[in-house]
Amino acid sequence: MEVQINKQDNVTTVELIGRLDTPASAEVSKALEPVAADAAGTIILDCKDLEYISSSGLRIFLVLRKAAAAQGGKVIVKSINKDIRNVFMMTGFLNLFQIED
Amino acid sequence: MDISQLDPHCQAILEEYRDNLPLFRESAEKIHTLLENTFREAGLMVAAIEYRVKSEDSLAGKLELKGAKYKSLQDITDIIGLRVITFYIDDVDKVASAVERLFKVDWDNTVDKRKVHEIDSFGYLSLHYICYLDGAPYRFEIQLRTVLQHAWANMNHDTGYKSGVEVPREYLSNLNRLAGMLELADEQFSKIRTELNDYRRRVQALVASGNLDDVPLDGDTFRSYLNLGPFTSLNKKIAAVNQAEIQEVSLMPYLTVFKGLNCKTLGDISRLIKTYSEGAYQIACYQIGLTDLDIISSSLGPQDLCIAYLLKSGAGKAGVRYLFEMLNGPSESNEMLAEMLMDQAQDLPFMNQ
Repeated sequence: MEVQINKQDNVTTVELIGRLDTPASAEVSKALEPVAADAAGTIILDCKDLEYISSSGLRIFLVLRKAAAAQGGKVIVKSINKDIRNVFMMTGFLNLFQIED
Repeated sequence: MDISQLDPHCQAILEEYRDNLPLFRESAEKIHTLLENTFREAGLMVAAIEYRVKSEDSLAGKLELKGAKYKSLQDITDIIGLRVITFYIDDVDKVASAVERLFKVDWDNTVDKRKVHEIDSFGYLSLHYICYLDGAPYRFEIQLRTVLQHAWANMNHDTGYKSGVEVPREYLSNLNRLAGMLELADEQFSKIRTELNDYRRRVQALVASGNLDDVPLDGDTFRSYLNLGPFTSLNKKIAAVNQAEIQEVSLMPYLTVFKGLNCKTLGDISRLIKTYSEGAYQIACYQIGLTDLDIISSSLGPQDLCIAYLLKSGAGKAGVRYLFEMLNGPSESNEMLAEMLMDQAQDLPFMNQ
């Protein structure tokens, strides 16, 4: 699992590459700590190369959502594949995020 | 201005001001914090609390104009000035009573300009308190006004009494008419707030008494209804399937959805819950039962409830897609999700009963 963070002005883009499963989530969570600490702008979670998400992955998304809400920012989830969209729907997460194709 | 041109009496006042400047700054900050904390604890929302310590230049200007009037610095009551700007006119009185409770008021110099202005001119409607500084022989000023009074005061400042230029009568008359309008607007805002609060109380009483068919569905009523936790039982039942944690989120986005499903009263939603909870549970079981997903959001219950209703009422793929569009905006994927749900529906018992 690979995480690439790129901040330009007020927009932080996080590219998530690979499988965000339970073993990977500790590492990803740590990598995203600075993003959560500086979440007053827009955070784009670019998921075009994210193959899979587990409950632990959903929790990481939620942490970012909470941090952004507390700091007046927002999270956009971008380009999720069909399976992940399905997971979002099955768990009621679909309308928690602004989801863009 | 050139301070050296002031007479020795005024120079002495300025000197005293300089010596006490740290005290003034510290006191202004303290009073500001005290007001802020008091309003927060009382749940009183104000638009702004401003404070300032009079600058040396400004004081020197005042002394140049009317220095002889002041025996000492203690006679100048606006060295420290604070201003509380409220949203509503009613709140000015609440802030006033807080000020009276918190500080010792110099009543001889406190002016309620709301009462003294001429009947045929609007004037400058604010309440000015002069209070004693704790532990020092100085006083400070607190002005209380609404945002509209504040807007008026700022605009009038440029055009009115302080500009030093005589203002044409016609212009003053226009300003006064505008002021009257603002005064009316202030009253109307307060009236609307009072009426809305009454409405909310009535609705809460109806919701609490269970007369849900008498309660029209709108933002306020839906919020009151959500406080009763109408989806909690369904969410808990769904969560139990995978011993999942429920992430509480705002369900207010469902107001539009339920309106879109033609719910006119809270009673309509209540019937929807009663009739389709079993279907919603079956959908959720089918979808997450064979996964290890152990987190759901509290919006899953209402989401699956709406899906169950749409599937059972024959709204078909278009109906389900419309639901996702209301919840998440338009996306090609909504079609895909709707198609998948139509497939799943064939295997669900509630669809075949």
